[in-house]
Amino acid sequence: MALLKKMRHLHLRILPVTAENRHFLLRTRGFHKHSTCQSLPAVEENVLPGNFSAAAVGKDGPLKTLKDMAGPSTISNIIEFFFRDGFSRIHEIQQQHSQKYGRIFKSRFGPQLVVSIADRDMIAEVLRAEGVAPQRANMESWKEYRDMRGRATGLISAEGEDWLKMRSVLRQQIMRPRDVAVFADDISGVVTDLVARVRALRGRQPDGLTVLNVNDLFFKYAMEGISVVLYEQRLGCLEERIPQLSLEYIAALHLMFSSFKTSMYAGAIPKWLRPLIPKPWEEFCHSWDGLFKFSKVHVDRRLSEIQGQLAAGQEVKGGLLTCLLVTKELTLEEIYANMTEMLLAGVDTTSFTLSWSTYLLALHPQVQQQIYEEVVSTLGPDKVPVSEDLPRLPLIRGLVKETLRLFPVLPGNGRITQKNLAVGGYLIPAGTQLALCHYTTSLDEGSFPNAAQFLPQRWVRKDATDRVDNFGSIPFGYGIRSCVGRRIAELEMHLALTQLIQKFHIQVSPLTEEVRAKTHGLLTPGAPINVRFVDRQ
Amino acid sequence: MPTDSTGSHIIRMVLESHFLVIRQFCCYTRALRSENKVTVSFINRDGEKVTVKGSPGDSLLDVVIEQDLDIDGFGACEGTLACSTCHLIFDEDVFNQLGPITDEEMDMLDLAYGLTDTSRLGCQVCLTKSLEGITVRVPESVADMRESDFGTTSSSS
Ligand code: FES
Repeated sequence: MALLKKMRHLHLRILPVTAENRHFLLRTRGFHKHSTCQSLPAVEENVLPGNFSAAAVGKDGPLKTLKDMAGPSTISNIIEFFFRDGFSRIHEIQQQHSQKYGRIFKSRFGPQLVVSIADRDMIAEVLRAEGVAPQRANMESWKEYRDMRGRATGLISAEGEDWLKMRSVLRQQIMRPRDVAVFADDISGVVTDLVARVRALRGRQPDGLTVLNVNDLFFKYAMEGISVVLYEQRLGCLEERIPQLSLEYIAALHLMFSSFKTSMYAGAIPKWLRPLIPKPWEEFCHSWDGLFKFSKVHVDRRLSEIQGQLAAGQEVKGGLLTCLLVTKELTLEEIYANMTEMLLAGVDTTSFTLSWSTYLLALHPQVQQQIYEEVVSTLGPDKVPVSEDLPRLPLIRGLVKETLRLFPVLPGNGRITQKNLAVGGYLIPAGTQLALCHYTTSLDEGSFPNAAQFLPQRWVRKDATDRVDNFGSIPFGYGIRSCVGRRIAELEMHLALTQLIQKFHIQVSPLTEEVRAKTHGLLTPGAPINVRFVDRQ
Repeated sequence: MPTDSTGSHIIRMVLESHFLVIRQFCCYTRALRSENKVTVSFINRDGEKVTVKGSPGDSLLDVVIEQDLDIDGFGACEGTLACSTCHLIFDEDVFNQLGPITDEEMDMLDLAYGLTDTSRLGCQVCLTKSLEGITVRVPESVADMRESDFGTTSSSS
């Protein structure tokens, strides 16, 4: 009887929401690039899902519904995000809300309900319950652009079976650590250029030591590094004169990034309003045009090389791109789309992490000294590290893990539940948008004692049986939809940091004060990081 | 500008002219196979024991797939070290005989459900002759937990 009353009550609460205004409200959330654009059927808070005709029971008694869940009000969210620029502080708001409302809480952005989960064990439960093709969020504006231009979706924007097919092909090529190790020599070549570039850039400063805005340098390193893997080609980003085509690409990527907020609105602004507010959508399309053009040029170049080799009766050899072009497990359009999306995903993420690592090393000279000693005792002062050396450099691995714990490049990730789920004593119906709050869990004292401290050592195992419950910090995600470029990114970061630490004493520049993190799609340094690179010998 | 049909044209040329395409990095090298198969028993989640044979050099995930063993959700990432759903539990003496464990495997193993001191990831453990006759246990899955603890009752508040 009580239930019936409840249901009637709820019926009245379902407000009529037009497709248009819902669309707008849905788009105004800002977790991160991959979970921003939503257009989901609004999940009603206190409707029990179909197959739970009566109260569901979890392991600790009856499950509560979403209606019972605490969270900030819609109004306070609007004020926070629109009037206090909450978008750039999403990571901090995530922490505050979880302190105030608990480790699982709900937020409403208009009719869009988001359930945030800021608990290591609950996140583990959600990710372990995943099916074969987990969905992050609806990427409608990305899809709209691709449909408009007749392009395919890639791993970031595709869902369901399309995604699964591409993922199966790509993961077989770039996910296994032993397969990725073959790229180490090429990446080492890029690191050599990075070191030379550090020397060239610092030489231009009055003190002869400072590299200004080190992220700019790491951006170019990351772009060069990922390109040797993806396109089997050097782009010249670390040269004094960067080739025009690469410059254009960098401009397109910067536009995509700097207009992140506007491009979020690009999808948010209803189509009928576009003639009045055309800029966001235009910029969004313009940057995608630039990104796709770049991939197309490089893919086509390799394709015609292969044609030439075949015509001349030569053997066709190559890496990732060659393999994709020759085996034809993906169509040419799918190859363009994936090359575009993987390049996009592999530049800023790697460069921010390298920037933060350098910053943390500069701030913590003793930690840096410890890592330096490990590097020199393993490699000596000059040996260029190869992939086989990396297992003997546990502190370098710890450095990257600890950097990503303190500054997870994706402060949160999204999931849409594909079936009813019992989490944290609540019954969460299928189709609910979840926000997994990685920033909060990775700074949680319960998982990481002295969580605010930079301690790469915490990741070093005593021996092979030493286990760390590390669901609190999973910067690359977990499972079938985790980062496909993880092993490549790790290799790029490990090799670069090893050589930088081996060759230079990294110091804070007096030009840099405290740098705080800011969310701009990704967790980024809020100010330029300037560091000094002093020769070790 | 090459179009998709040009792409498929090339592929056809490749296939027709029998060029050897060297997939530099994607080849999944398996140790030399001998005719002598290795016998392995799996204890399933429901306690049932299944005994199968696999080739030396194959991983335990390969064995599960090739023998079509029905273990729900096993090997979700196809052996690319991105999940830990291929988690298996070994007897201690067998565990000590297994090959070395890489950092990447340890990192993923940390995230495995129902971890024990003698756990390994099945996609990283390759069969050798010396493993003849071993028994491995498939740990309880999250789904099993849920089924036993998560039901509905007809009473309501
Ligand atoms: S199958 Fe995913 S880690 Fe073994």
